[in-house]
Amino acid sequence: MKLWLAQNGNYPRIGDSPALQVLRRTLAALDRGEATAADVERAAQEMTRQALADQLAAGLDVLTDGQIRWHDPVSHLAGRLAGVRINGLLRFFDTNFYFRQPVLVEHPVRQQPLLVEEFHTAQRLLAELDGTGHPRVLRAVLTGPYTLARLSLAEAAAMQPLDRRVQAYAEALAAEVEALAAAGARQIQVDEPAILFYPEDWPVFAAAIERLATARQAAAAAGHPTEVVLYVYFRDCSPLYERLAALPVDGLGLDFTYGERLADCVIGSGSRLPLAFGLLDGRNTRLEEPAAIARQLERLLPAVRADHCWLGCSCGLEYLPRDRARAKLELLGKIRALVAGTR
Amino acid sequence: MSRAKLERLGIHLPLLPVTSVGSLPKPDWLLEARNDYRRGKITESALRTQEERATAFWIARQEELGVDVLVDGEQYRGDMVAFFAERLPGFTQGGLVRSYGNRYYHKPIITGAVRWPGPLTVAWWRFAQGLTRRPVKGMLTGPYTMMDWSFNEHYPDRKSTCMALAGVIRREVEALLEAGCRIVQIDEPALSVRPEELPVAIEAMQMVTDGLDAYFITHACYGAFEHIYPQMLQMPVDNFDLEMSNSGLDLLDLFRRHRFTKDLSFGVVDVHSHVLEDPATVRERVARALTVVPAGQLWIDPDCGLKTRTVEEAVGKLQRCVEAARAFRATPPAQGGPGAA
Repeated sequence: MKLWLAQNGNYPRIGDSPALQVLRRTLAALDRGEATAADVERAAQEMTRQALADQLAAGLDVLTDGQIRWHDPVSHLAGRLAGVRINGLLRFFDTNFYFRQPVLVEHPVRQQPLLVEEFHTAQRLLAELDGTGHPRVLRAVLTGPYTLARLSLAEAAAMQPLDRRVQAYAEALAAEVEALAAAGARQIQVDEPAILFYPEDWPVFAAAIERLATARQAAAAAGHPTEVVLYVYFRDCSPLYERLAALPVDGLGLDFTYGERLADCVIGSGSRLPLAFGLLDGRNTRLEEPAAIARQLERLLPAVRADHCWLGCSCGLEYLPRDRARAKLELLGKIRALVAGTR
Repeated sequence: MSRAKLERLGIHLPLLPVTSVGSLPKPDWLLEARNDYRRGKITESALRTQEERATAFWIARQEELGVDVLVDGEQYRGDMVAFFAERLPGFTQGGLVRSYGNRYYHKPIITGAVRWPGPLTVAWWRFAQGLTRRPVKGMLTGPYTMMDWSFNEHYPDRKSTCMALAGVIRREVEALLEAGCRIVQIDEPALSVRPEELPVAIEAMQMVTDGLDAYFITHACYGAFEHIYPQMLQMPVDNFDLEMSNSGLDLLDLFRRHRFTKDLSFGVVDVHSHVLEDPATVRERVARALTVVPAGQLWIDPDCGLKTRTVEEAVGKLQRCVEAARAFRATPPAQGGPGAA
């Protein structure tokens, strides 16, 4: 079995050196009327380049653009849909990070691609940076329709039932899946942390994931094959594990930092899906002992009936200071080397 | 209802007392002084002089506006957790992480056993209280939030971290009371982040306040209170200070279903918007609050600290709070709502 090293989702867009604060400075200057949108774009590209460079230096096989342009995981997508107004701040689950809450004033409609241009930019930057010829995957990342709907308010009466909001977002994101696949995204990560907090909503959640799976099939039929990898995190997902593993997706990303139960579930039930093992804590600076993580991985890998898996952190790394985020990425290669040495 | 307790403590407040949550914006000249200090251009003593000047500025503004319970405005603090973490042995400063949008802060790392090194806020409280005859709140960050907003590389789990911090913060509360402070606000904005941990937050607050003779307020904001209400009323404090406007006063529905049993500091202006609410909007928010919470339990304030606003915006928003409270004091509403006697 191949074990790919993967970055999932966001990455710090700031560091402690002045050079790593270019995006912050430029956005602040834009607010003061002292910078232009073009200046912000240059700064965002520079920080995207830095995020990709860190991932390359750590030897990752699956990279993301770090979601450097995203002000938050919710408004960046929802705010680009017609029929959506962006409201006040709300805490993003149990983090100390805040997102601006969408309000559906009408049925939300995707009138143009949401992430395709950002994906193309990251593709170009990665090509400029990576001269190794090593086969790597640049992953596109979407916040899933259920999580977007759960974190949105509805003013439009038709959007007040949760299932209507989920369906509306699923339609918009299904079109985006096809557009990203056409743009060359071979893997699309769909983040759905909210389902772990509201498991009673499973039917509407599962229907939304099935809609994205249909979009993936349509993309493949059009000659643009892509994989949809579902990620859940911020809670122990063991109560939902078997149902998650039965969804029509191409991989499942799991957060193993909330106790031992999930590992026991995976070992007990197995998985037909490739799993993304989120074994390093993306929310705490303590650096894990590689040998301990390698031992966990050695217990888990035999349970997977697939030809590959991914090793990564429990969630995106934006919740960590940049030096620790980078250190976590560097641990991944050490862990893989230990596992390879015993297999 | 804790008005009797306030009276016993010698604090006489009007109906619908107006307060501010904690932080107030730093005037431009203080920001310049802080930058100069960071670059080594001025001494710590020179910076302190400017911080005192800014504190005096805000005490005077609050008095002029008619605020009843004052804050020192935290002119000498940066982030509400980092201020304490920088002074408590056991913490190390971490790198920058994002708070929201384009805002970042240095998230502390607990790398050893935390301990109280002696008073951290008492001198500033004395200074501010010395400038006014109105009560000035002692302002602390609570143990649960200190724990949740720090990385932990030392303690085995979250509860042991939280309880260690509670012991430290209690010492600071005792020092404030010894100095004469009678209203202490212990901010717990992280209170609702993990509903299953509410008992930990309550136990920690118990450790902080148990047996101490003061009026205790706790501030919480931007959370999912529907998951911890009404259990959160078990927090051993007299007053909950809650952000209400940012979420369209939706918490009132919860309070209708289960009576709000403590005093409530009710956020009536949005601190994350540059827009100054019109007086009628703020009055309407107070009126809606009064349909659910009896006037004798209600305090009026902004949603949260005002430090991200300009000085002019903050003054304007505080003024709206005072105007609304005065409008209702002039014509006291009939006591309504499920909490009415």
